[in-house]
Amino acid sequence: MKQSRADYTEIRVERTWSSAVAFRGRRLETATVSEDQGGFVRVLNRGRGWGIASFTSLDELPAMVRRANELSRAVRMEEPICLADTAPVVADAKLDLDGDVRGVPLGDKKKVLEAYNGAMLAVSKSIVDTQASYRDEVSEVWYANSEGAALYQLRPEVVVSGTAIGRRNGTIEKGLESIGLRKGWRSVQGFEERFRVVAQRAVDLLDAPRVRGGAYPVILDNELAGVFIHEAFGHLSEADFVYENPQAREMMTLGRRFGKRVLNAGDNGAAAGLRGTLPFDDEGTPTQDTPLIREGILVGRLHSRETAAKLGERPTGNARAISFRHPPIVRMTNTYIAPGKAGVGFNDLIRDIKLGVYACGAFGGQTMLENFSFTAGWGYMIRDGQVAELVKDVVLAGNLFQTLDRIDHIAGDFTWNQMGGGCGKGGQFPLPVTEGAPHVRIEEALIGGDV
Amino acid sequence: MIDRLLETARRKVDGADALWRREEQTAVAFESGRLKAAGISEEAGLNLRVLSQGRMGVAGTTAAKPDPEALLERARASAELGETVDLAFPKAAAASLPPIPTYFDRTANASLDDLIALGRMVVERLARPDCQINVSVEREVDATAVGNTAGARGEYRGTGIAVTADVTRIAGDDVLMVYDHYVGADMPSDGDLEALIRSIETRLSAALTIVTPPDGSLPVVFTPAGLAAVVLPLEQALSGKTVLQGSSPLADKVGAVMFDERLSIIDDPLTPGRPASRPVDDECVPSRATGLVERGAVGRFVYDLETAARAKTQSTGNGRRGIFGKPHIGYTNVLFRIGDGVHGAHVGAQHAAPPSMLGGGLIADLDDGLIVDDLIGVGQGNVISGAFSHPVGLAYRVQRGEVTGRVKDAAVAGNAYDLLKRIGGVGTDGRWLGSRWSPSLLLEGVSVARR
Repeated sequence: MKQSRADYTEIRVERTWSSAVAFRGRRLETATVSEDQGGFVRVLNRGRGWGIASFTSLDELPAMVRRANELSRAVRMEEPICLADTAPVVADAKLDLDGDVRGVPLGDKKKVLEAYNGAMLAVSKSIVDTQASYRDEVSEVWYANSEGAALYQLRPEVVVSGTAIGRRNGTIEKGLESIGLRKGWRSVQGFEERFRVVAQRAVDLLDAPRVRGGAYPVILDNELAGVFIHEAFGHLSEADFVYENPQAREMMTLGRRFGKRVLNAGDNGAAAGLRGTLPFDDEGTPTQDTPLIREGILVGRLHSRETAAKLGERPTGNARAISFRHPPIVRMTNTYIAPGKAGVGFNDLIRDIKLGVYACGAFGGQTMLENFSFTAGWGYMIRDGQVAELVKDVVLAGNLFQTLDRIDHIAGDFTWNQMGGGCGKGGQFPLPVTEGAPHVRIEEALIGGDV
Repeated sequence: MIDRLLETARRKVDGADALWRREEQTAVAFESGRLKAAGISEEAGLNLRVLSQGRMGVAGTTAAKPDPEALLERARASAELGETVDLAFPKAAAASLPPIPTYFDRTANASLDDLIALGRMVVERLARPDCQINVSVEREVDATAVGNTAGARGEYRGTGIAVTADVTRIAGDDVLMVYDHYVGADMPSDGDLEALIRSIETRLSAALTIVTPPDGSLPVVFTPAGLAAVVLPLEQALSGKTVLQGSSPLADKVGAVMFDERLSIIDDPLTPGRPASRPVDDECVPSRATGLVERGAVGRFVYDLETAARAKTQSTGNGRRGIFGKPHIGYTNVLFRIGDGVHGAHVGAQHAAPPSMLGGGLIADLDDGLIVDDLIGVGQGNVISGAFSHPVGLAYRVQRGEVTGRVKDAAVAGNAYDLLKRIGGVGTDGRWLGSRWSPSLLLEGVSVARR
């Protein structure tokens, strides 16, 4: 840091201890322990652009600081890059390891996963294949910048997930369970029932019809409602999408109405104990709860120091990198739809729907900003105010301006859904994030399928 | 490094193979038309697999000076929990490895200024007052060494360059995103860059008018990019792994005609000029082409060493491994060869045919249908079943043989196995997209739903 000749310099050094166990069918695929380490340097000079270097060979750190400075000086900019002020923090931030995974024998991890995998395989002869995986890590991150910040963070993570494949003749269906926590060994015990349930669902789906395509009233369960807010609105709230685009800024003007008064949403990187939670982001900014939509109106967005400076707003602690191999970019943390009135439940949402779809679980979602998809794991038809038959291949087509505004009821049954996997953006995948939501009703949404 | 590691392993375990890889990337990024950042990334790592008392274990490290003894100990600990496998490492090849150019001096020697000039040219050509243009140029130079205790060795250097351009146009509440790239081992020719620019211009100008989507069961032209949802199920089903696990719908169909008899698909690691090409795979198996689908009939599945050993067959040279984890099956270059082979004639170039009209010459006879260029959420459903259902990301309506405009808020659904039984037409626009070469295909009876 002291050797750097650049106007602004930041250095991240990471050391990650991890172990992984995987089963495929009855067979163990791998059981390994790995150690990964490397560094990241980013520098900025007045009138010049970012110079970036990432590397695994840590003894080359001083050379890499020089290289990054050369790269920065090669990028001429007419309009300078500014960084919003953030008080430089010196701190040790060690998250609770909750049973340090580094001290647990690999054989014990294999045993736990074997039980979850076995629970899926035992459901039926129709379960022809499974994929089960356990992965844990403890990451040590040192961060320093030339403004005086010096942070040491200890970040644990553990993910168990399973896919059960059911097959009868040519019909193949899957059930998916995934649990991702910023915790340790103590938190991944006792999930047999959850894995059994998804395998049973894969079997049940073998007899289920495909949903017919068309526009329906739709109720999203907590898990899919979480994926929905992440795809529908979270990505639009990332200020790197708007900060250099005047048309996008106009479209996303603070104060614009996006939904009815029932809709409140935000992103909270400081929520206790969640997978997307960190005390500081990868620019050293403390995380916080950032309201994005209040009573249907756009009230905030997610920032890095650069996007905040450009828009004259405050950094929100959302500059994140998946590892030393990447620069920090604006990302979500724990994104949520706030609960509606306490006591309002699923039954209040379904009561007056004559024909609709109850979309459950999430295989994933993707956004192209205005339009986005969110893929349910399974669904049920709603007929005359009641949950009716199971249906499959339920994929919803969303539109930012239409779908959000058609949310007309939000239940009070909020849960955080801490799944494994993660979010992908700009080649950085998977970033640990969490979504939280209650049951949500959309007056009308498009579902793909035969028409 | 490999020799020393394998020598250490030979004394302590029954057998071993290893991969060492070093990658150096140089990247420049233009954001909203302005050069913003330049970066380098350097990474080297070592992956070791051992057979110890008939059991398999793996370990990897990115340490700057890896300790062979420590790595071997971790691999042995992994093997203690591992499954037994009757794995035979390939012996030293009798003949030399197939000569395939993977390293291009022009690419390796391109200076930072050359890469900046390349990106700037694309930015300037695509500049439009109402559009935001992001361009990145990424160059990679890598070196790979593989070896095993049976005496086989393989070494090669490679280069790769990717020029990606995305254009975002926001008009009121309409968001239009058009994306394309050049990817090759050699620097793009003027013709390649011209093709990239025209591809974006063609799709952008046809998208400026928004029209109502049709609905019903319709003929749809899937462009090479739009084809991903149809190809993905086949790639999963043709993997020896899903066949072994019993989850591939094509498992017992070798030799059976399952697709249009004009359709052949090969995996070819020996295609000149492609970044995925290589003389030897990551497990020392010499590269050769594999016929996945031959004139509509299921041909060979792709295998790595372990899956082949369990399935009692030979590896097809599709072993791929990272620094951490064990080798797995991966495709190299996947090429669609359709009809008499004319369209597969010039596959070394990015675009085989000159950049043509949207739809690859397939729309003249369409009375009402779609051209699908991008779907949202591909890969997130129950992929292996062949069923897909996705909102359109970028699609155009065709009426009476002409493109009438872009459609929004529509979803397409179908089953890849059913749709590929009869190909209604093959485009003249065959091209590389990442590591896949294909023309546009006209498929009939695709379900289109709209709001």
